[in-house]
Amino acid sequence: MEEYPEELRTPPVALVSLVGCPELHTLISTHLHSEQPPINTLALPDFSKISIMAKTQKDTSASGQAAGILKRDWLLKHRTRVPAIVAALFSSDHVSGDPAQWLQVCTDLENLKALIRGRNIKLVLVVVVQSTSKHDISEDRMIALRKRAEVDSKYLINFVPNDALDLQQSLNRMGNTFAELANTYYRDEGRRIKMRLERKSFSSIELNIRYCFKVAVYAEFRRDWVEALRLYEDAYHVLREMIGTATRLPAIQRLVEIKTVAEQLHFKISTLLLHGGKVIEAITWFRQHNASYRRLVGAPEVIFLHWEWLSRQFLVFAELLETSSAITPSISFPVSGRADRLTEWELYSAYYYQLAAHYLKEKKSSLELALSMSEAEIDGMAESVVPAVYVGQFARLLEQGNTFSMQPLTDEDYIHYALAEGKRFQDSFEIIALVKKSFEMYSSSKAQRMASYCGFQMAREYFAESEFGNAKQLFDSVASLYRQEGWVTLLWEVLGYLRECSRRLGSVKDFIEYSLEMAALPVLPVAGVLSFSFKECGPAGPASLAQREIIHEEVFGLVRGQSSLASNEGNSSLKVTGDHPIHLEIDLVSPLRVVAATSNDQSVHRVETALVLSLVTNKWLRLTYDIKSEQSGKLECVSVIARMGPHFTICCRAESPASLNDLPLWKFEDRVETFPTKDPGLAFSGQKFTQVEEPDPLVDLKLVASGPALVGESFIVPVTVTSKGHAIHSGELKINLVDTRGGGLLSPREVEPSSSDNLHVELLGVSGLECEDESKPGMENIKKIQHSFGLISVPYLNVGDSWSCKLEIKWHRPKPVMLYVSLGYSSHSSEPSVQKVHVHKSLQIEGKTAVSISHRFMLPFRREPLLLSKIKPVLDSDQMPSLPLNETSILVVSAKNCTEVPLQLLSMSIEMEDDGSGRSCSLQHGGKDLIDPALLVPGEEFKKVFSVIPEVNVSNLEIGTVCLRWRRDSGPEEESGSNTAASEVLTKHRLPDVNVELSPLVVSLECPPHAILGNPFTYFIKIQNQTQLLQEIKLSLADSQSFVLSGYHNDTTFVLPKSEHILSYKLVPLASGSQQLPRVTVTAMRYSAGFQPSIAASTVFVFPSEPHFKMAHIMASPESIAVE
Amino acid sequence: MIVCVAVVGHQSFTEADDALKLHHIVHCSLDVVDERVNNPKKSGPLNESFLGLLCPPENYKVYGYLTNTKVKFILVTTDLDVRDADMRNFFRRFHSAYVDAVSNPFHVPAKKITSRTFAERVSTIVKSLG
Amino acid sequence: MGREVSESCVDSLLTEIVSTYCNGFYANKPELAARRIEAIGYQVGHQLSERYTMERPRFSDHLEAIKFICKDFWSELFKKQIDNLKTNHRGTFVLQDNRFRWLARMSVDPSSENSSSPQDPSTMAENKAAQAVGMHLYFPCGIIRGALSNLGIPCAVSADISNLPACDRNNITKRNFDPCLVAPLTAHCELS
Repeated sequence: MEEYPEELRTPPVALVSLVGCPELHTLISTHLHSEQPPINTLALPDFSKISIMAKTQKDTSASGQAAGILKRDWLLKHRTRVPAIVAALFSSDHVSGDPAQWLQVCTDLENLKALIRGRNIKLVLVVVVQSTSKHDISEDRMIALRKRAEVDSKYLINFVPNDALDLQQSLNRMGNTFAELANTYYRDEGRRIKMRLERKSFSSIELNIRYCFKVAVYAEFRRDWVEALRLYEDAYHVLREMIGTATRLPAIQRLVEIKTVAEQLHFKISTLLLHGGKVIEAITWFRQHNASYRRLVGAPEVIFLHWEWLSRQFLVFAELLETSSAITPSISFPVSGRADRLTEWELYSAYYYQLAAHYLKEKKSSLELALSMSEAEIDGMAESVVPAVYVGQFARLLEQGNTFSMQPLTDEDYIHYALAEGKRFQDSFEIIALVKKSFEMYSSSKAQRMASYCGFQMAREYFAESEFGNAKQLFDSVASLYRQEGWVTLLWEVLGYLRECSRRLGSVKDFIEYSLEMAALPVLPVAGVLSFSFKECGPAGPASLAQREIIHEEVFGLVRGQSSLASNEGNSSLKVTGDHPIHLEIDLVSPLRVVAATSNDQSVHRVETALVLSLVTNKWLRLTYDIKSEQSGKLECVSVIARMGPHFTICCRAESPASLNDLPLWKFEDRVETFPTKDPGLAFSGQKFTQVEEPDPLVDLKLVASGPALVGESFIVPVTVTSKGHAIHSGELKINLVDTRGGGLLSPREVEPSSSDNLHVELLGVSGLECEDESKPGMENIKKIQHSFGLISVPYLNVGDSWSCKLEIKWHRPKPVMLYVSLGYSSHSSEPSVQKVHVHKSLQIEGKTAVSISHRFMLPFRREPLLLSKIKPVLDSDQMPSLPLNETSILVVSAKNCTEVPLQLLSMSIEMEDDGSGRSCSLQHGGKDLIDPALLVPGEEFKKVFSVIPEVNVSNLEIGTVCLRWRRDSGPEEESGSNTAASEVLTKHRLPDVNVELSPLVVSLECPPHAILGNPFTYFIKIQNQTQLLQEIKLSLADSQSFVLSGYHNDTTFVLPKSEHILSYKLVPLASGSQQLPRVTVTAMRYSAGFQPSIAASTVFVFPSEPHFKMAHIMASPESIAVE
Repeated sequence: MIVCVAVVGHQSFTEADDALKLHHIVHCSLDVVDERVNNPKKSGPLNESFLGLLCPPENYKVYGYLTNTKVKFILVTTDLDVRDADMRNFFRRFHSAYVDAVSNPFHVPAKKITSRTFAERVSTIVKSLG
Repeated sequence: MGREVSESCVDSLLTEIVSTYCNGFYANKPELAARRIEAIGYQVGHQLSERYTMERPRFSDHLEAIKFICKDFWSELFKKQIDNLKTNHRGTFVLQDNRFRWLARMSVDPSSENSSSPQDPSTMAENKAAQAVGMHLYFPCGIIRGALSNLGIPCAVSADISNLPACDRNNITKRNFDPCLVAPLTAHCELS
């Protein structure tokens, strides 16, 4: 489009000539230009310059027969030299000045009138009024001026430049006047010529076209686009008819002229349509334009001119479409029923760019052909050829002295000229630029196939220009699409180019890769190979089996180092040598995968070498390797490296057979046999890696626990390691204690896990490292013992040897625990760090409480102190037991064996807490300490009686802690063995605090220890008042069937402070056996508390007759009472 | 003259004429097929198999046809004056020939059709269109 | 449709395929036999779908294709439409045929019932029958999968029978197809 002249490219703009008063021209021009529609100005500083507008002398020599269709300069003339209006600017000073000045004005005006006489050019008078002399203008002079100029009064404008407001008004008025007049002018001009058209008063078809063109241009001046379009179309149609009828020029030039004019007309039409938003119409019009001229190739010698022309048509339209689609972005696609409806690409300018490139390429090749045909020197003859007066015509410029004359050309001369011109241009770059534009547009609109076709064309052009680097890059991207979509034939062609590029670039590796890929392409054995014309196909020749064979031979020859290929980069040749070994990597995404991803074997960080391999097409070669695994874990076949020739290797990533998924059609069933694994199951699911297991440990690890552990004792778990199959080197025993209920920490909630008190279960240590030749001290072998973790080294063990140790574990709380023991060792002494064998054992051990200790307080027999705290309503259930102050209470502590093994009780004592404040109570136990350990069978209870006398009246009396020493009873036979006896365990049990209070009243019953049927005895009830107060006591005694009673049944007495009141009753037993004494109820009125001695306390045994036994000790031993 | 009839499946490609240029034309026309399928509004209300003219008639006219199984038939002809009805008819017949060919249990789906019968039928159909 | 085939031939063929693969080629690898039978079905379905979709407009979405399978394709193959189509709208479709023709005349070999183990003869027989019927379902499953994948819907198809023909007097065979579409939206069938 750029090569079109400016006047053609832009819409015409009305032209006004300003004459005189040059100082105002810029101001006026700027204003007019910014008008809507704009007006151009032809500014002439003074009246002497007006001759520029003078009519050119018409060359009417061949008036009957027009010499051409359109004059080259006509449009330009009307754009720049022939104004619609001449505005004569006079200064008001001159107009109203002295006669000389007035005369000058008149003369200038006359000259101007003479110039425009006979032409339709409008005249406007502008009187520039200086504001100072505003009122000085004489009305007469003005009228005289107007008369002279023969203009209407409205075309005489007063122009006031000095006042802003006035200036604006003047400018506006001027603009409006000019616009109106220009419109009239161009309409009249158009009408004038149109008249000729309508009357058909033209002598030739050329004039017909010219008139149409002119009318259209005038319409354009008036912005009457519809009319302009119609007349351009008329002109175009008439022009089309000229083909074949015109005889004016020699044939070749005639066609050139017609096409050039057609091009201009078409450009105008397209521009108008597109600017009017009629995209579809424009495209349709272009299609028709293309269709009607494409076949008009013209003479074969200058066929390149046709292609050039056609290319230009596409290019120009592409540019127009691109600019217009930038303005109107969305094009609604018509859904029309027309047979020739538009297809998608016609809306894209990319399509036109592409075709422009295509035809330019045609031009290039035909130009080359034409140049090669005409070997004569063409330059000299073309020198003086210039464009002629008419559009699309050329003539020889003859220089005759000072005058130049145009001489028509013969066709032969023209051909020479055209060839010479054609040689001047570098079409390749133009082609690449066009295709690139198209490529980018297609890429951005996601038409990747179109884009890659463009890329291919671009690359081919680069290739032709020997720019192999660029070409290769483009070809590569194109190839990847074809590869991906499986277009073998296209891929073959591209690879052929790529191969050639890499050969030229001297890239051996690429060359081999491309060659291998080509050699493996499934080229179809098509019968009609010859339908390829060799000109069409790339450097690799047609895609055929034979060609494939050639490439195969070539590349393998190269690879083996047997041959070399000439490269044009430098003088080097492609060769695989020791200096330049080639190593190809083939991974999952490499295109060569198809070629070589066929053989699988295994190698573990090392190379297994197979001497000779021969791979058969489409068959799997099975390679079997014995691999000795030295390490456990994943064993994977990473890659296979094949070596061909001395310096060429292919490294191929291994793939799982399972990942080579083909369509699971039964058709391929027979291929299963050639899959890399024989097992058809594995053929589908086979893996390229396998798991190498550890060697089986040939070691016995034994953990023994003798039943549940007891809390407090240090429990022994013997661990025995016995080697059965191989020696044990650098063995290590790891011990872990884990809470069975999960969690590694044994006491997760404790704040200080380091303190052993907080640990529930604790690993104390390892003892008794018993080995035959064990001389070292055991503790040295212990590497690390923590509360729940231990690490012990195991000495070297020969086959068959065994080693054992004992783990000491202590339970602080009853809790089940998992004991994990794992033995890690290596079976070879040589490399201790390489591979360890691990044996794991675990054992769950229950921890149980050995003895449960309970206690009970009792009061002395038949002595009931009134404890007020017992009378009060009990609010909380676990009230502290209360003990009377200074009274003797009995404490019974019992220890029960909760285990399933017999225990030996060594001693039981109560340790008082000595807080330094003196004794708060006296505690003593009756009876002697145990001399021999007491054997406690499971479930058995041991009791011991203590008497407690609280001596301080406190609410919280600490009694002390029961200390129980015991041990497992290991049976009489083991008792003789010295050190095996189980160690003593001390179990402590803190007795709860008691409440001590002074009892105000103590009721004691006194009666003989036994009675004899019929023998009366005295029953004393003693009420001791321990307070300083007088106590009123209500007493009632219930009757008993077994006794006859004398005395009050009910009584109320007063007990004096610190004194004792004694009631005595005489009782006669009536029945023998254990009999209930009459029950007494004492009520202390002061405390309104009544109390009754317990039933046990008021029971007496009645003998039928006097028994005969000594009863001296019975009363004295409280122990016997307690045990009852 | 019909210069090329191509069956473009997922992987396959069968043609009546092998010229490289036609490969390019057929390959590029697939972009149009994609465009039509992805923007069904533009190509009309029906999901008709026949896609009509694919490319602007520059030297060749390219017609397309897309089956339910996403197999494309592309026809390239130098004949510029073709009626859509004829094209429809052609593709219908071609489709049935294609179906018969791929129904052969020894035909491997998505591979080139090697059947001679198919080739003969195709050339008959092509000839009948002119 | 010009050419027709006797139904009994189809039945016999299916029976023969199953027995050949299960008892002959892959006697001790039932999964492999199943795979093979499914693959045969896949190819058949692939090719049949080509034919049966010939004269119809293109499917605009997956549901349309599934409907085609349910109605026309099913009718062509099994002489009736399916009885119920369910979907979770996430790519799983359940096709139910209350009287599946290809199993309608199946019965379990009585000898297997006799030789059943002492524990519970009836359940043993049922298990065996279910296994045998299951084997016969791989072929139709393959057909459906082949058809769908040719229509651009890669999927997995499995069959499920709740009532065995042999156990049911009314001879009503229920079966469910459960094609789980494997990421249907990304199933991009790039054609070349």
